[in-house]
Amino acid sequence: MPPGALEGVKVLDLSHHIAGPWCTKLLADYGAEVIKVERPEGDPARRMPPFFHDQTGPENSLLFLYLNTSKQGVTLNLKTQQGKQMLRDLAREADLLVENFSPRVLPSLGLDYESIHEVNPALVMVSISNFGQTGPYRDYKATEIVEYALGGLMYIFGAYDREPLKHALNQAQFKAGTDAASAALIALYHQRLSGQGQHIDVSIQECIASTLRDVVNNYTYTGAVRRRQPNHSGDLTRLRAAADGFILPNPGIGARMNWDGVADFLDAPELKDDKFNNASARLANAEELGEVLDRVFLTKKKFDVFYAAHQQRYIYGVVQSPEEVLANDQYREREYWVDLEHSTMGKIKFPGAPFLMSGSPWQVQHPAPTLGQHNRELFGRRLGCSDSDLAGLRAMGVI
Amino acid sequence: MASTLPAAPLNGIRVIEMGQLIAIPWAMKMLADMGAQVIRLESCGRTDYRNDSLYQNDISGEFWNRGANFYEHNRNKLGITLDLTKPQGLAIFRDLISVSDIFVENFTPRAVKNFGLEYEGLRALKPDLIMVSSTGYGYTGPWANFGATGPATEGASGLAYMTGYTDGEPMLSEIPYIDYTAGEQTVFAVMAALMHRLRTGRGQFIDISQAQAASATVPEALLDWSVNARVQPRMGNQDPAMAPHGCYPCLGDDRWIVIAVSGDAEWQSLCRVLGQGEWSQDARFMDGLSRWHHRNELDGLVGSVTPEWDAHRLMSALQDAGVAAGAVLDSKDLLFDPHLLDRRFYEVVTHHPSTGMPPLPYASRPWKLSETPGVSPRPAPNLGEHNRILICELLGLSQEDFAGLEDDGIIGSVPTDPRPTQRPPLEVQVRQGRMQRFETDFGEQIVKFYPDADHG
Repeated sequence: MPPGALEGVKVLDLSHHIAGPWCTKLLADYGAEVIKVERPEGDPARRMPPFFHDQTGPENSLLFLYLNTSKQGVTLNLKTQQGKQMLRDLAREADLLVENFSPRVLPSLGLDYESIHEVNPALVMVSISNFGQTGPYRDYKATEIVEYALGGLMYIFGAYDREPLKHALNQAQFKAGTDAASAALIALYHQRLSGQGQHIDVSIQECIASTLRDVVNNYTYTGAVRRRQPNHSGDLTRLRAAADGFILPNPGIGARMNWDGVADFLDAPELKDDKFNNASARLANAEELGEVLDRVFLTKKKFDVFYAAHQQRYIYGVVQSPEEVLANDQYREREYWVDLEHSTMGKIKFPGAPFLMSGSPWQVQHPAPTLGQHNRELFGRRLGCSDSDLAGLRAMGVI
Repeated sequence: MASTLPAAPLNGIRVIEMGQLIAIPWAMKMLADMGAQVIRLESCGRTDYRNDSLYQNDISGEFWNRGANFYEHNRNKLGITLDLTKPQGLAIFRDLISVSDIFVENFTPRAVKNFGLEYEGLRALKPDLIMVSSTGYGYTGPWANFGATGPATEGASGLAYMTGYTDGEPMLSEIPYIDYTAGEQTVFAVMAALMHRLRTGRGQFIDISQAQAASATVPEALLDWSVNARVQPRMGNQDPAMAPHGCYPCLGDDRWIVIAVSGDAEWQSLCRVLGQGEWSQDARFMDGLSRWHHRNELDGLVGSVTPEWDAHRLMSALQDAGVAAGAVLDSKDLLFDPHLLDRRFYEVVTHHPSTGMPPLPYASRPWKLSETPGVSPRPAPNLGEHNRILICELLGLSQEDFAGLEDDGIIGSVPTDPRPTQRPPLEVQVRQGRMQRFETDFGEQIVKFYPDADHG
């Protein structure tokens, strides 16, 4: 297989949890050389579920294993003088340094951008944080749900008559990781042409706030504040229950819809009534329309409607459970899943390439590192540490 | 030295964008912000996407140049119209490709093939061309030609299935969320291909399945199934480890706060700020595990006292005490949020005088680059605004040829079949529940916080 797109890019990865590791996983699986630096007790993501067969333990977190493919791993205690010096030595050879500590941490360790820039002026440092490196919320604490609230996605998300809702899992962290990886390569492209390094400030709050279609501009364009939508709003494209799951109808984009055709497709002649047969009538009778549609879809199986709709080029969607995603023909035919061979767990089926590159393929170089797996190799090769040096460092709690 | 360097790191990169709606347009806006010359290709026969969310809901005149969602996703681009169903239109398209670095599109493979825009053919015009096809489910495979929307791919990816209130149905996020997920990965993909071209001199074809891009961001659920054959129940706003962890009502109409308590110290601080000494002594809530087991009672208790509080005041009080909390910001709160104002997150864009629109603030980017921040913002193009400059100056056609293209309807600046979408009056939208409220003095309020938005 030809090398990945980012061959020759050297990344020093100080990140932990999800956002930073997802950023550096993207870089690593597309060809960059990533050295993951963990604190001696390990990345906290090693303690995050789900675990392999529910066996907790630092090498068994499936989330950690997913987020750290293709990286090499070392441990380093950045609170020690020697740890800091070793980090600076590693930074001398790196193109990118990625970190997602809260903004006070690295400056308090004497490892702020200015000091690293002195060691390597061409280095691009990427800092991911909850609210950015500046501003009144800089030191606010946050988890996913706080980012959803302050990023503006939560207020419009959820049922009309209930409390606002967030997505399941860790979407804000993934968004931020992707944005950070993009910004890193934009700066690195510039560095390759100019030799100039720089500092990138990625705010997770702003990652959400920069992706809100038709929210803030409702206010700037009309003065209106959008809210969570009522279920029977006249919107034809809301999720509906089918006999065996959920379907997302979409009868046609915009005003170009052949409504009689829609009624025929759904075997629902009552939809041809004057109450529904044009856009304004549908808005005026939104509640009644919603009730008819609810009834119509309940009698159908979701994949039957989905495939039949695409025959007509109606762009219906279907809600798939994790089981259905794993079994999906489209994913399988595109070889989305990769079987990763792990030393103790055997073969594990992972989600694969987010996108396909014809000339420089995505590839898992090797599984995620065990804690400190490459200490000997990397500290030996890069920093010239002998085995007795390493024993000393271990005894002093540096690695 | 720094002052002589370009502020825009992607200066000199030219992109031809045949994008619809969001996934590709958003991604190319990001590249345009960073200095790439993005030429947006449109057709006068297909302009409905320009009519969405019109300024002041006004459908008079050139309404197609006043759509919020078009402005939101096409800042800093140049605009050209071309009828690709005619050979002359296709010839100009090919001329543009031959002087460009990147071609991006998000139509179905069927449309790409019908117009003869496949990568192999285009590469003959520009050997190191990078091309991106972003589709709902991927450029190949049995679902390749299935059209998709952001909500459809949110459903297919596994994300919607996991999302929803505790014991409730699957839920979608009310924005075309996966368009952005895929758009974010598109920026990364283009940059990876540019890095590769810098090193090897070669272009390539990038195939983005929006559903698969999204599935890559829900590994917790997919791995739990593939390894443990388990699907976790929907949890609403609750968390697998923290409690209390949720969204609670505050003072006012539809005002809310979220609170996430991660440890004993945070729990004690929460009790103190809320004035609930009894809770802090309650055996049911003594440690993290017992709080988690009693999370439903806790949600009820917390939600019974938060309505006395203003959401922003409670956020400050809790954050000062070290507890993760956030007011649930509505769109106006976001625009006037002191933190986002301090970081100049919203940037004022001056519109083309023909639109009659005042300058308005728009969301900028999720990153700040210290040395190469990007270009000062220009508005999205009016329909066909840059036809002449691109066809005559970039491609070198004569003024006579240009006039001929106009006469033949190959290019233009007016939709051939304009159909405005008028939303109901705001009173009606509030009554229907689509909008929470509306304010008539919003223009003055915006100018107060964004003085550059003054019409002058």
